[in-house]
Amino acid sequence: MSGRRVAGAVLFGAVAAFAALGPEVVAADPARQSLADYLTPPGGAWLLGTDHLGRSLLARLAHAARLSLFLAAVCVFSAALPGTLLGILAAWAGGLVDRALSALADAVLALPGLLLVLLIASFAPGRFWPLQVGFALTLAVEFFRVVRGTSQRILAGPAVEASRLLGFGPLYIVRRHLWPDLAPLIGTLAALSAAACVLGMAALGFVGIGLRPPEADWGLMMTELFPYHAEAPWAIAQPIALLFLTVLGLLLLAGRERA
Amino acid sequence: MSALRVENLAVRSRQGTILHPVSFALEPGTTVTVIGETGAGKTILAEAILGILPAELSASGTVCLAGAAFAAEERARAGLWGRTVTLLPQEPWSALDPLMRARAQVFEVLRAVHRRPRSAARAEARRELAALGLAGEGRKYPWQLSGGMAQRAALAATRATGARVLIADEPTKGLDLALRDAVVALLAAERDAGRAVLVITHDLAVAEALGGRILVLRQGRVVEEGQTREVLRAPRHPYTAALLAARPETWAPRALPQVGEAVVKARGLACRLGGRVLFDGFDLTLGEAETVAAIGPSGVGKTTLGNLLVGLMRPDRGTVARRPGLASVRFQKLWQDPPAAFAPHITLRRALADVCRRHDVAWAEAERLLAALGLSPCLLERRPDQVSGGELQRVALLRALLVRPVFLFADEPTSRLDLLTQAETLRLLADLAAERRVALFLVTHDPAIARALAHRVITLGA
Repeated sequence: MSGRRVAGAVLFGAVAAFAALGPEVVAADPARQSLADYLTPPGGAWLLGTDHLGRSLLARLAHAARLSLFLAAVCVFSAALPGTLLGILAAWAGGLVDRALSALADAVLALPGLLLVLLIASFAPGRFWPLQVGFALTLAVEFFRVVRGTSQRILAGPAVEASRLLGFGPLYIVRRHLWPDLAPLIGTLAALSAAACVLGMAALGFVGIGLRPPEADWGLMMTELFPYHAEAPWAIAQPIALLFLTVLGLLLLAGRERA
Repeated sequence: MSALRVENLAVRSRQGTILHPVSFALEPGTTVTVIGETGAGKTILAEAILGILPAELSASGTVCLAGAAFAAEERARAGLWGRTVTLLPQEPWSALDPLMRARAQVFEVLRAVHRRPRSAARAEARRELAALGLAGEGRKYPWQLSGGMAQRAALAATRATGARVLIADEPTKGLDLALRDAVVALLAAERDAGRAVLVITHDLAVAEALGGRILVLRQGRVVEEGQTREVLRAPRHPYTAALLAARPETWAPRALPQVGEAVVKARGLACRLGGRVLFDGFDLTLGEAETVAAIGPSGVGKTTLGNLLVGLMRPDRGTVARRPGLASVRFQKLWQDPPAAFAPHITLRRALADVCRRHDVAWAEAERLLAALGLSPCLLERRPDQVSGGELQRVALLRALLVRPVFLFADEPTSRLDLLTQAETLRLLADLAAERRVALFLVTHDPAIARALAHRVITLGA
């Protein structure tokens, strides 16, 4: 593994550990208000300070991290699985199936991703599932296109022709020919998609769609802390920094190995 | 004065010497041919002359171009590229810019190298292409040109430089016989026009046709040099003699096995590819242990015919009838490019073990074949890209033989292999096919191979 990828793994691993263990380790309740302590700077009793309602920022960040990463993982999984399977199907079947699936993918691509999420979110405001469906749909198109293109090239080659002639079935061809080439691509795409998902979720939270207060979410935290950016820049900097570290970690992790 | 003089030119890598000191002179209006097999250091020699060696290699010695001497290590002769010395690269399709029309690529040379005005450059580019028989093709992109046309377009761009020294690196690689002769004629015309031509090739026929002087390169050493005609007539070094003996033209005729009952019968085959009719109403029958060779220019449908026989394609019309009771897996194929015919990520042992498991063949059979094909068992631990082309083609033959084929379609199985390897591979293929009474459909571009190995030769596109 290259140094970049190690750095990415360490960064993302730290955020993931914070998301997994933070809510257990931090005793404070993320929703508990203590108005007397509003906007306390970091240090002392409040390790990372408090927000405008006197809630512990550390506790809120930890809970937000868990939620964001969980949602991202669900989105990536529900995008990668159908995207990959349909991509292989389109490359394999060709003809009408390929054209229909590709047309569908193009139709989804024709809309900006966030707009599509907004459209679906308007069916059930404040609920999680429309966000997830919207993200999964836009992200699945990426998986579909990459997997389809790579599979088409491999399936047309003499190596697959040889395997077919030697009597091997589709499962063998997927396992021995397609998967070794697809796996690294899917890994890269998954990291990029997770980053896009975390960013998109934060953006939606920031414009007030998506999750509702008092739920803790990085985007929502930014919205809430934005009015206080002049008095307490350190407060709004925290969710931004965590988001930045997560995305940076994922992008470094996704980076191609240099040959 | 020599157009190009090379003195004690040597190339080293960190691991050792790649090219031992070479000296030769190239006069205007003559050719020098450097001949050798893969890995002999031919391309390294060309790169060292031009000064475009990869950074991890270092050169020593002197290169004299246009009367000026350069230390091999110097970069200063970059100023002579395209003016005094020019390179006709391997594989014209990849040498040409895929996004530029043919004429624009010649035009660009005239503008950039000779600073010709636009209109003059345009007219001259048109003339250059017309002189090489590409009058109507100037507006085409490289991918719309055939291999031969692309080679001529690349030569037109090279010629437009007007350089006095032309270095051609494997100019006939991947071309069929007719195109090869055409390219050789083009190079001879350049020589007759007063240019000094250095040709790097693995093809003895190219050297023979061009005449002039020859350097025989083996593992980075010049083992023999002299007048081409004399060296080819009476080689002094055993390696040169071995190379000459490996030429299909000189093979002794084989004792061909008795042909048995028919294995596959094709009747009234018709096939079109990309809107072009390849053949129509074509009949062919192959019997047990029979070898039929198909020859003809590229793109005439030799591979398509083989794919129809082996069952990879269906004909538009007509039938391919196999002897009843034969499983389809007993019709096998050998591919032109061995590395492309194996899954790249798994070891050869795993690939062969998969076949054994799929068809209930004992592993001992694979080991027996390994010995029969003269392959070392340690090859099996490697992946396809870690094995030489000749060895890998033998592994491909082994893989096909594991399923006890009755019919084998060999699609130019040795066209990417060196002469000596080709002779060895084809001998094994013919021996094993005869011993196991396999019907062999051999596609080749070399009539001498077809004559030497086949019961019957069919010429397509005649």
